[in-house]
Amino acid sequence: MVIENVKLAFNAMRGNKMRTALSLLGIVIGVASVVAILTIGDSASQSIKDAIAIGGLDMVTIYPSPGQRNTGIFNEEFSSMLRRDVEGIDVVLPQNSSGGRIRVGQEATDASVVGVLSDYGDALNLEYAEGSFFEAMDNINRRQVAVLGSDVAKELFPDQEATGRYISLFRNQAKNYLVVGVLKSKDPTFNLSYDNSVFIPYNTYGQRFIRTANVGAFVVKVTDGFDTISVSDRITEYLDDIVGTDGYMLFSPATLAEMADQITGTFSTFLALIAAISLVVGGIGIMNIMLVSVAERTREIGVRKAIGASPSVIRGQFLIEALTLTLLGGFLGIVLGSLLSFAVTNLMDWSLHLSYASFILALGFSMFVGVFFGWYPAVKASKLDPIEALNHE
Amino acid sequence: MSDHVIALRNVSRYYVMGEFIVKALDGVSVSIARGEFTSIMGPSGSGKSTMMNLIGCLDTPTDGQILIDGEDTSGMSEAELAFIRNQKVGFVFQQFNLLGKLTALENVVTPLLYAGYKPRERRRMAIDALERVGLADRMHHRPNELSGGQKQRVAIARALVNNPSILLADEPTGALDSRTGNQIMELFDEINSEGRTVILVTHDRELGLKAKRQIHLRDGKIEV
Ligand SMILES: Nc1ncnc2c1ncn2[C@@H]1O[C@H](COP(=O)(O)OP(=O)(O)O)[C@@H](O)[C@H]1O
Ligand SMILES: [Mg+2]
Repeated sequence: MVIENVKLAFNAMRGNKMRTALSLLGIVIGVASVVAILTIGDSASQSIKDAIAIGGLDMVTIYPSPGQRNTGIFNEEFSSMLRRDVEGIDVVLPQNSSGGRIRVGQEATDASVVGVLSDYGDALNLEYAEGSFFEAMDNINRRQVAVLGSDVAKELFPDQEATGRYISLFRNQAKNYLVVGVLKSKDPTFNLSYDNSVFIPYNTYGQRFIRTANVGAFVVKVTDGFDTISVSDRITEYLDDIVGTDGYMLFSPATLAEMADQITGTFSTFLALIAAISLVVGGIGIMNIMLVSVAERTREIGVRKAIGASPSVIRGQFLIEALTLTLLGGFLGIVLGSLLSFAVTNLMDWSLHLSYASFILALGFSMFVGVFFGWYPAVKASKLDPIEALNHE
Repeated sequence: MSDHVIALRNVSRYYVMGEFIVKALDGVSVSIARGEFTSIMGPSGSGKSTMMNLIGCLDTPTDGQILIDGEDTSGMSEAELAFIRNQKVGFVFQQFNLLGKLTALENVVTPLLYAGYKPRERRRMAIDALERVGLADRMHHRPNELSGGQKQRVAIARALVNNPSILLADEPTGALDSRTGNQIMELFDEINSEGRTVILVTHDRELGLKAKRQIHLRDGKIEV
């Protein structure tokens, strides 16, 4: 019976192609906008997350506030304290840095000078074009050794090996640093452009460039298998207790990605809701065409009743017709919305993430609209008096 | 009682038209035996169609009782009346009343659809019925591709396909030329001789007299 009714629905649509197309327009546009908004939202959010993820989704960086650097707890003992008190931390890497001018004879370039411990290279899985990272002894003895980022090395030693040669840091010409390694080119993170940095031992940095024992930043690497967001939440809780919310700044790409996800999610849900309103308008179009259809087919309804169609059968026939219409509209809308999403993501250079959830949502909503707005015309048809309907011209 | 397939007991059907009441049928009592061929005759407006529609459960009386197969139809729900229209009576109209967008076969299949037969059975039964009226070769034609006589044959096939005990025909030859009309009349004779109760409404005396029994109506009452 359902199949016959669907066939009848298509018959009716074929008979009035233009009218059908016009009345479907509302549903098609509504569904297309819902699908496009959710899909484009998903794709945008995914590409934002991808961009943030370059910063290392297993990293959290703590920046002590300027005042805290001199008086607070952010000294070298902080690393072991944090590891002891907060679960899920693999290593805590203290890091001081400042911008500086690097020279080799007449060649000069600007770079970040970064003071770190010798385990920094292993903790971040750095790879070397030449040599290696410096040793623990280099730090203990405050030796003047340096590891160059790949751009710095290219700039200063365009045609030759850098290891074994000397560079001058900052304005102090006399301080010569021995190059012990050169990094392979590596994607920058939010706080460090590796290619454009020079790494020197932490203690050497402290002796040469700052007077106090306080630390500029701590890079926290989360233990494998722990969730970065919950670890960063625990660190936040821990630090809020000790130094207060103003005492530090915490930066966590994973948390940021989650926030971006939430914001785009909320935003696209909001837009999709607005688009859903146009589905309701589309539903009124469906109701309209169904009422016209019932009026035009009054005689047919009379005939069907005369040969034994019960009210529920007639109601079912027109409900299925309304459902067929809205599902067709929903299907066309999904196709249109996907094409639109494809065009937009292509234009924005985002990767397309077709939102299948939005397909199901859109189809479900169209079905709901079909039943809701098809109900009244269908009930009207089912209640027609057989003889009046038969005598209708 | 059970040999009376139709019984009307003091049946009235009134229409309220503003200040007037039109008594389309006024206290009619009549019984029709199983297998009878009856014609209802009378001038235009005498209540023939009204009586027919009441017997066929398309309409309900203002007053009185109608029994079909011994079953009282008063107080039946719309769905129950639809079931009787589907199972116990077949209707043939002057204007054929075929579904214009469906083929002859699909038209004949429709009552079977409502009766709940499976697709294969429906098709077989509908083709049988079309063969019965001599139109099996036209089953894929739409009504607008058929002549008046052919349309009426399709309508008769549709009325008979569910094997009802009663066939009701309201001026079935009214829209046909006399030769075609006579052929349709012969078909009714055959259908009656198979044991089916046939009731024919006509204002054509000659046609009406071909039935074994005549009921004459005037102003909503039976004339004796
Ligand atoms: N729906 C209706 N409303 C008002 N009057 C009606 C209606 N149907 C029939 N009538 C009246 O009832 C009477 C009988 O009609 P009908 O049974 O159609 O007559 P017949 O079929 O014998 O020509 C007529 O006077 C007709 O005008
Ligand atoms: Mg009449």
